[in-house]
Amino acid sequence: MRKFFTLLWLTSILSMGYAQVRTVTGTVKDSQSLIALPGVTISVKSTGQGTQTDEAGRFSIQASSTDVLTFGFIGYTTQEVEINNRAIVDIFLESHDQALEEVVVVGYGTQRKIDLTGSITQVKGEEIENMPNTNPISSLQGKVAGLTISNSGSPGAAPTVRIRGVNSTNSSSPLYVVDGVLHDNIDFLSPGDIETIDVLRDPSSIAIYGLRGANGVIAVTLKKAARGRTAVNLSSSIGFNRVIDRIDVTDAEGFKKLHDADRANAGDSKFDYTNYTANTDWQELILRDGFLSNNTLGISNSGEKSSTHFSLGYNKQNGVVKNGDYERFTARLNQELKINDRLKIGGNISGMYWNMRPTVITFTNALWAAPIVPVQYDENTYYSMPSFQRAQVGNPIATLHRMDNKSLPTGYRFVGSLFAEWEIIENLKWKSTIYADLGFNNTRGYTPLPFYFMNLGESEGENTITYDENVRTAVSQKQEQFTRYQQDHTLTFEKAIEEDHRLTAMAGFTTVFTHNQEISGNRRDADLNIPDDPDFWYINISNPNANPGTFAGQGTKNAIVGAFGRVNYAFRDKYLLNATIRRDGSSKFAPKNRWGTFGSIGLGWVVSSEDFFQSIDVVDFLKLRASWGKIGNQNGIRDNIYQPGLSTSSSAIFGDNIYTAVGPAYIPDPNLRWEVVGGVDLGLESKFLNNKLNLEVTWYDRTTTDILTSLVIPNTDRSYFTNLGKITNRGVELTLGWNDRINEDFTYNVSANYSYNKNVVNSIGDNINFQIFGNNQANLTETGKSIGYFYGYRQIGIYQSLSQMENMATMSNSRPGDIAYEDVDGDGVITDKDRTYLGTPFPPHNFGININLGYKGFDFLIQGQGVAGNHIHVQRRRANFAPINYETNRLNAWTGPGTSNVEPILASNRGDNYLFSSYYLEPADFFRIRTLQLGYNFSTGLLNNRIRKARVYVSGQNIKTWSKVTGYSPEAPISSITAGGADNGIYPLPATYTFGVNLSF
Amino acid sequence: MNTNYFYKKYVIAILLISSTIFTGCEKFLDTQPQGSYTLDNYPYPQGGGPFDEFIFGVYDDLRSYSVHVDGFINATSIRSDDADKGSTANDGGADVFGMDNFPVLTTSGRANALWTGFLGIVTKCNEAIYQVESNDDIVSDEEIKQQTIGEARFFRGYAYFMLVRLFGRVPLIDKMLDDPAQQLNIRQNSVAEIYKFIEDDLNFAAANLPLSWDERFIGRATQGAANGILAKVYLTQGKWAQASSAAQKVMTSGQYDLTTDYAKIFGEDGENSSESVFEVQATASPTVTQTNGTQYASIQGVRGAGNWNLGWGWNVPSDVLEAAYEPEDPRKARTILYSSTNTTENFTIYSELMPRYPSDVPNPRYNHKVLGSPNLRNTISRGCWWMNIRILRYADVVLMYAEAANELGQTEEARTALNSIRARARRGAAEGILPDVATNNQNTLRNAIRHERRIELAMEHDRFFDIVRWGIAKQMLDAAGKTNFRIGRDELLPIPQAQIDLSKGVLEQNPGY
Repeated sequence: MRKFFTLLWLTSILSMGYAQVRTVTGTVKDSQSLIALPGVTISVKSTGQGTQTDEAGRFSIQASSTDVLTFGFIGYTTQEVEINNRAIVDIFLESHDQALEEVVVVGYGTQRKIDLTGSITQVKGEEIENMPNTNPISSLQGKVAGLTISNSGSPGAAPTVRIRGVNSTNSSSPLYVVDGVLHDNIDFLSPGDIETIDVLRDPSSIAIYGLRGANGVIAVTLKKAARGRTAVNLSSSIGFNRVIDRIDVTDAEGFKKLHDADRANAGDSKFDYTNYTANTDWQELILRDGFLSNNTLGISNSGEKSSTHFSLGYNKQNGVVKNGDYERFTARLNQELKINDRLKIGGNISGMYWNMRPTVITFTNALWAAPIVPVQYDENTYYSMPSFQRAQVGNPIATLHRMDNKSLPTGYRFVGSLFAEWEIIENLKWKSTIYADLGFNNTRGYTPLPFYFMNLGESEGENTITYDENVRTAVSQKQEQFTRYQQDHTLTFEKAIEEDHRLTAMAGFTTVFTHNQEISGNRRDADLNIPDDPDFWYINISNPNANPGTFAGQGTKNAIVGAFGRVNYAFRDKYLLNATIRRDGSSKFAPKNRWGTFGSIGLGWVVSSEDFFQSIDVVDFLKLRASWGKIGNQNGIRDNIYQPGLSTSSSAIFGDNIYTAVGPAYIPDPNLRWEVVGGVDLGLESKFLNNKLNLEVTWYDRTTTDILTSLVIPNTDRSYFTNLGKITNRGVELTLGWNDRINEDFTYNVSANYSYNKNVVNSIGDNINFQIFGNNQANLTETGKSIGYFYGYRQIGIYQSLSQMENMATMSNSRPGDIAYEDVDGDGVITDKDRTYLGTPFPPHNFGININLGYKGFDFLIQGQGVAGNHIHVQRRRANFAPINYETNRLNAWTGPGTSNVEPILASNRGDNYLFSSYYLEPADFFRIRTLQLGYNFSTGLLNNRIRKARVYVSGQNIKTWSKVTGYSPEAPISSITAGGADNGIYPLPATYTFGVNLSF
Repeated sequence: MNTNYFYKKYVIAILLISSTIFTGCEKFLDTQPQGSYTLDNYPYPQGGGPFDEFIFGVYDDLRSYSVHVDGFINATSIRSDDADKGSTANDGGADVFGMDNFPVLTTSGRANALWTGFLGIVTKCNEAIYQVESNDDIVSDEEIKQQTIGEARFFRGYAYFMLVRLFGRVPLIDKMLDDPAQQLNIRQNSVAEIYKFIEDDLNFAAANLPLSWDERFIGRATQGAANGILAKVYLTQGKWAQASSAAQKVMTSGQYDLTTDYAKIFGEDGENSSESVFEVQATASPTVTQTNGTQYASIQGVRGAGNWNLGWGWNVPSDVLEAAYEPEDPRKARTILYSSTNTTENFTIYSELMPRYPSDVPNPRYNHKVLGSPNLRNTISRGCWWMNIRILRYADVVLMYAEAANELGQTEEARTALNSIRARARRGAAEGILPDVATNNQNTLRNAIRHERRIELAMEHDRFFDIVRWGIAKQMLDAAGKTNFRIGRDELLPIPQAQIDLSKGVLEQNPGY
């Protein structure tokens, strides 16, 4: 060996003798981002002489024309380049092989991705930072196979998140873990503060998190100080939201036509429109373009002994519905100190303040209000709706103007942690962390005096102006306090034995204690008119003796304890074993059922590391993995529900005396116990063609048993919370990526993901002999079908004539013009027995595609996303309590034989047409351009090279959607599990256009 | 260095720490409900009625939307010939069209509310009985226990009497079940079984409830209420002798009489008068306008604008009811509230000028019996949530007695009872108005009693049940233009589809639906 080096050295010396020494210059860039890399070490191989690139990635070095240059940089693969007589050598450095170096969060620790035996997908902070979403989770939509996200356009609202379908009838939201702290949401994080997000999907990966993680875990790692220097990062964007897909409702002319027909068909007299001459587009009046801005400033410093990261964030979102908005300020400080070689301590504190202006009008109000009514008569007088809907539908703009800005919700949240890490002896580490999560919400509100209302004269009546004198001003206050304390203690042993064996063993103990409380009150002033000024909106503004007011206060408390252990073992990086065991205790169950032991095991085989595989050049990496796990779940159930709780809020009245009434608040199940989620996960990870192509395929089968379910018991009005039944989710997840560079200026990568989930309710349990319905019998959960499926009649057409009806199955009171339903049981008549499976509210197919292009300084991102296979229940059209404005589909209503085979006759007295049927379902398949972003990187150092990176971009989100859904958003309302998929006027999901800047100093 | 020893030390230390921690854990995990009681730690008040809290829950139910409000008004009154839905033509949609002129939709939310509402009362009664029988923590003498059971069985009997008349066959649930999910899905019992059950409950209640309560508990269930409802139960089954006897017990109890003027009975100052045998209590104040009251009057309130926006304007007196009054019957003006028209001014009992029909209000007539006083309407709310609901009036008992007596051939007694009602009605009116009925013919007297029942108790929720039990529903409803009524189907509401679905078909639909 030594001989070889000697030879090499000699050769170099010799070649030097022949070659001419000259100045070689060039630029070093990242091969992916094409960003210039400062601080890259360049050395001449023969002489050892070296230099570094400057802020713009440029270097200049003396070398002979035949020499070899070595480029080295932390995190990048060292490259050797022959000069070959060139004067300019431009280099693209490849960051280290992702498969080897990438680390993912696995719970109380991290693990190299290559060693994983479960399904974990990592999303980088850069992919989130520049998206115009206040809540970082919204930006994951379409990026991770197996992750379903349903966004809301409402300012400050969190999206609904489901990982691999619906596991339970109760709560199916994942657990969030931010740097080790368990959370139910991460609304306190600024998108720019996130380093990575890991989505843990299979039972073996989530087992270590125990009882709260059964629906999957989203683990967030926050940015920490960059090593060895002071860095300042600023990301900032501004833009606006706009509703581009409105709901088509009839204008005044259309409304009159349809309302006349409706009345005529119901046998009623024609309405007198004489004074109703307006043509008001209520929808237009309540919508607006909403401004938004997202900003994060991060400053970090790191030295030998300590590192500090500090960040500030500001987000503002104006809703597209007048005049709701949301504003948030965040700040975070992360500090780590190295006391000595063995002891490290650190802490993290995040603070958040938010305030919002609540949206006071509902869409259904604007959709249902008759367009024939003018808006406003004078400053304090609004028009009321026509008599036929006056009692049910208010003037939306009067509501807006009266109630807007009359409620002032604000809140604070602080999350802090302290840790100490002690290396007791070599390879053995003790780490203890304590956390506190404190939240304080506060609202003050005001009920103003009403407006005057102009009632237009009908049937030759006169116009009248009315004023409601019974409405008095009132004030309210509400305060909520959320506290959660957590402690984690782990002992980790990590050792590599003779290169062949790598072993990590960890044991730990954790507790979480939660205590929430709230208090609220309000007073209506019978004497004075409290001014419309927030300075007066405190309860004491109103005399307590004359105005006793109403008050309320309540609290919740719960605790969990867990002890856990994990072993990760790898033999020659080829054979992988991960095993977890965890014992959990929860205060939500009675002492006898409180404890449960759960665990997981995972096996992996890196086939590509086998000797026999080395000859296969096309395949760079191939891993097969299999895992099994079982986790206890107690999510979403009320505290102490196993105890016989009493309701004390009802009262008996005798004369004017009021007495407390007591009764069971629900039917308790003293045997309430763990819901258990278990399953297997089989996966294949591979890379081909010099790592350009990667493919990941996973198949899973997950079963939930003893499902925690709240039931309405027949023949009572009580609910019963118990364990029952079994649900299976089976599916596949597919991720395919292609990553390449066409030439030095042009790089591109394409990745696509697809997932399919099949949900089956295997049983709703032996313990009940009745059925579980939701949303007034529109959703049914029963054995053998998917959970909460749409259950109703299937439309086959419209009855055209009496003679046609003689040959068709009908209902007992069917008439021409009514919806013809399918005779499912074939008995010749349409009865309740003909209701059938009509579809599922939960999308079985989810897919996303990402294309990144880089050309010189430009980068371009296009991201598409969609779902297929589910339906939306257009429940807003089934409203039948009063005549309301019509959606334009009703312009095609049946008026006689042959006029329509889809739209039934306009007649609100024909109840059969309002039954839940496929007529009220829309296919919810959609594909949308989720993001379109064009950026430019200034490659040369700006401001005397003080700016290391500068990027500007324009971005569009949700700019185009292909869908058959007539509502504001094709995103299924899936937060309710047994009553999902109903559109009752969901908040529009707007298109968002932003301009942004990223700067690094 | 001896690494093994070193590790061992740590392992032992960890084991020790863990075992201490886990003992502490049980305590840590024993969190209790915050700010709410359980059955085990409720500080039951001593003295007074130790079981009152449990039975009081039923009184809360009585005022609720699903018991004596929307579904109740629809099923007992709007379904009859004497009332129409009212309001604007399409208001309420298909559900109410079915109530007004048949058939009621099997998906009717109102029918479903009645089902869950009255069975909810049954559940609470069973729970109260269970507490009396098995809660050893509550010390009480036997008499109080029997009285509480009596009160519970009164409401259970009443709830089943409503259910059997509304739905026919319903499941009988006579105790608290220990495994509700398994046991509560019960088949329907026969109508005869249900009536037997009701009679047992009400007889027990009549034997154990007090004749009256002190002022603090005014309006609480009494012996008179139990006997009065029992009389109606017997009457409905044609058990004339028992009906007569039960009614007589009320009439001889010394608690009730006909001294209250007809005009006064229905207003605030007529609440809990000597006319009142059982009425649902409600109250309201400017600060608590609804919680302690009931929406009963609001649903029937005048549907105008501004100060005349008293409610939905539902349950309006029909043309045939208006035509049924004898000339100058003073009860007509107290029952029918006429809207003004372009040519006529009409006034309320409080001398308020009524808004005009059709320009200001959509209906020519409203239910005058539920109109609250203008004073309270102006200070509390126009919805009149404080108005009590008259479930059983003394006049009703007297007319039940008259009907039973006439069927038993006791013409004299029947006629006397009938005429006592007419005498009160004409009190203060001009001579010759509402003369005594003089007939000795049983059939003529039967018709006179039926007519009197209709007029005296108009809009008071017995009319539909009366025409059904008299077998004249089809004839009367046809005359009122409600021609969709089909014999054999529309006497009963459909078993709510929601309940049949929930029961997985264990509950069977009523015939014809």
